[in-house]
Amino acid sequence: MSHDDKYREIIKREMAKLRKPVKLKVFTCKERQIEGSYIKECMDCEQFMALLKIYEENSNGMLTIEELCIDDNPEFAKKFDISRVPTILFIDDKGREIIRYLAAPQGGEIQPFIQALFAFAGAPNYYEATIKQNLNRIQPSTIKVMITETCPYCPQVCTIANNFAIASDGKIRTIIIDIMANPDISQYYDAAGVPYTIINDQKTLVGMVGPNEILRALIGGNIRVQY
Amino acid sequence: MFNIDMEGIDLEKTYDLIVLGGGPTAIGCAIYAARFAMDVLIVGKTFGGLIATTHLVENYPGVASISGQGLMDMFKDHMDSLEIPYISDEIRSIAKENDHFVLLSFFQKFKAFSICIATGSERRKLSVPGENKFTGKGVSYCATCDGPFYKEKIVAVIGGSDSAAKEALFLAQNSEKVYIIYRGGEIRAEPINKKRVLENHKIEIIYNTNVVEIKGDNTVKSIIFDNGKDLDVDGVFIEIGSIPNSDLAKQIGIKTNEKDEIIINRKSETNVPGIFAAGDVADAPFKQAITGVAEGVIAAYSAFDYVKKIDIEY
Repeated sequence: MSHDDKYREIIKREMAKLRKPVKLKVFTCKERQIEGSYIKECMDCEQFMALLKIYEENSNGMLTIEELCIDDNPEFAKKFDISRVPTILFIDDKGREIIRYLAAPQGGEIQPFIQALFAFAGAPNYYEATIKQNLNRIQPSTIKVMITETCPYCPQVCTIANNFAIASDGKIRTIIIDIMANPDISQYYDAAGVPYTIINDQKTLVGMVGPNEILRALIGGNIRVQY
Repeated sequence: MFNIDMEGIDLEKTYDLIVLGGGPTAIGCAIYAARFAMDVLIVGKTFGGLIATTHLVENYPGVASISGQGLMDMFKDHMDSLEIPYISDEIRSIAKENDHFVLLSFFQKFKAFSICIATGSERRKLSVPGENKFTGKGVSYCATCDGPFYKEKIVAVIGGSDSAAKEALFLAQNSEKVYIIYRGGEIRAEPINKKRVLENHKIEIIYNTNVVEIKGDNTVKSIIFDNGKDLDVDGVFIEIGSIPNSDLAKQIGIKTNEKDEIIINRKSETNVPGIFAAGDVADAPFKQAITGVAEGVIAAYSAFDYVKKIDIEY
């Protein structure tokens, strides 16, 4: 079985377990301006949407992907500060952005993406109780996780960050960034190692970090736990 | 890939066995425990362990050649087939209460009749100026993770072990030039990998040399040797062995040796009844995935016997 077939099987098997509806917004562009002229279609967007369709088609109708062309939805794009495509947004029922993907959910990123879908749909979240206990000590935060497709530890950090965001009642937002697809972002941060986790553009955690290390960085102190 | 949902996790239950770790040793132990019909849970910081960062594994019987991540995906599939739950967390304390242990993590409390510590090891640091400053900005401990950043660039691998040789071979696939910097006079790689290194025209070994400083501006630019010379490089991969993750074990009175490895007997028993240990964190002389798995399996057998006796007593 090829890698593609194997990954397709995993998506099919796991997405069939989604029991509650989830809606994602995906920003793409049909036209791009390059050097004063427009070219039709964005190749990355086409491939990206084809991949997301696999998730949608295997979800028994539970996952809805809403494609929004950035050119046709300038106000929405401005509201959510969409500066690059493709971008996936997990927006909660209060209209708050919880997770942003600047990465294709393929390869090792399939599992964390699916787990984010499940947690977003309300599946029990292992970290929820502790996040809620410490919520008043966390400032509104953004966790950026820079990843590559070959990194074995990146999916684990993505899952932790996504689960934190989903449990935080809108206080934490996660941005997952594939730095091979977005090299300007890695250059901006001088990042040459992954996973590369940045909390509020101030604290940097390099390499595999556990949930306690990320939560401590968010709190700026020790974690309080009531067992 | 790994799971972090609550499926299969029961926080009220007293597990027969909780395995600490996430590498092949931990999973091997859990697979055997599950087949003994034990209630088993794995709690680990890093699913896949260090081997997940190995680009090529060619000494695991039955699998001629596979990436470390690929091997761990197979372990994961096997684990999933037995519905063994895994959570990403770290245990910070263990206490004995009557017939069972109470384990506190940063997020939850668990109970178990027995424990297997398979927390493995982590990369040893070089401890030279510039190492911390440039970690993630040119200093790396994982070629599989960070190799893509160094396409057509010049990198140095510090170390002379088989792991260092394999890192250099992996990096040579895309980098312009790979230097191996080794303090000894001959690298200690397995003969097959040593031959590959010596035949690779992109790899050059600098013997009898230590790196004393890593320099750069925003990212790494050069390394300084103990002979005063320097070498311009874009990246430095440090592969100088590992140190066991045994702090928790020591904290609860488990005996360790002078290398901080947990002392175990041939049943993978520690000096604390009900707590077993296996793999890189333990004091076996050979640290291989296959030997770790074997020790983990022995730990599962011993835990099974231990828990069975508790069942009879109560």
